[in-house]
Amino acid sequence: MMEPSNTREQLRPGLWVTINERYPGSMITRSETVPLAALRQPLAAARLTFVSSAGVQPKGSLPFDVVHPVGDYSFRRVPSNSKPEDLEIHQLKYPTVDAHRDLNVIFPIERLQELAAEGVIGGLTPHLFSFIGYNMDPERLEQTLAEEIADAVVAEGADAALLCPA
Amino acid sequence: MSLQYLKDAVANGDREKLIRYVRLHLGDGNEQQGRAEIDKAWIEALKLLLDVPPTDREFIVETLATKDPATLAHLFFNLHFYFVRHSGEWIHDGTL
Repeated sequence: MMEPSNTREQLRPGLWVTINERYPGSMITRSETVPLAALRQPLAAARLTFVSSAGVQPKGSLPFDVVHPVGDYSFRRVPSNSKPEDLEIHQLKYPTVDAHRDLNVIFPIERLQELAAEGVIGGLTPHLFSFIGYNMDPERLEQTLAEEIADAVVAEGADAALLCPA
Repeated sequence: MSLQYLKDAVANGDREKLIRYVRLHLGDGNEQQGRAEIDKAWIEALKLLLDVPPTDREFIVETLATKDPATLAHLFFNLHFYFVRHSGEWIHDGTL
């Protein structure tokens, strides 16, 4: 059995130490926090959604804009019954080699489908959500993209959201 | 804020901060690589024109005359990546 990973270990400490040097002023510093919402029913009865910055999207949808110098503030709905071969990645700013071998390492759609089928969770929302993490205007990110995704998550009847930065 | 940092640089005429940001963006966070990527895109564009192949100048003239500057700026970044990919030396291959 594998040892559990050290949750305090930063996998790419060199990158994050220098992130403000690489992209000056890009890190968000916030003094206030939003308290986590308590789950209102057992997990086995809860409808889960998944929100990812991995840049995963259905094939044939408008590719995320990976060249814009200030970022792309749109998101894509990913049908939760998709197969990995229905999806593709449009993102340049994280290592995608392993994700192209197995999408589940960055966008675990099959694992989530299994959890739903096994009754560990009550189900999945009709869609999961994805955007790209290269967004250099944190205010725009918070006031447009984050709000729009939050509205979409609520509209799909999610009881819980799994947030996963790429 | 990153954007304010850049807007301040524009207001102050700090060209070095602005071009450094571009190099970092094009070089996946590596300024030296970004500098090389800019050179690579221009060299590739030059190579494609050396034999003076027929080009769609009407499209070019119409595009420049009818599209707004922001769209053209966006196109400019797209063209950079297009020519870098066309060169066959694509650093944005997911390995970072």
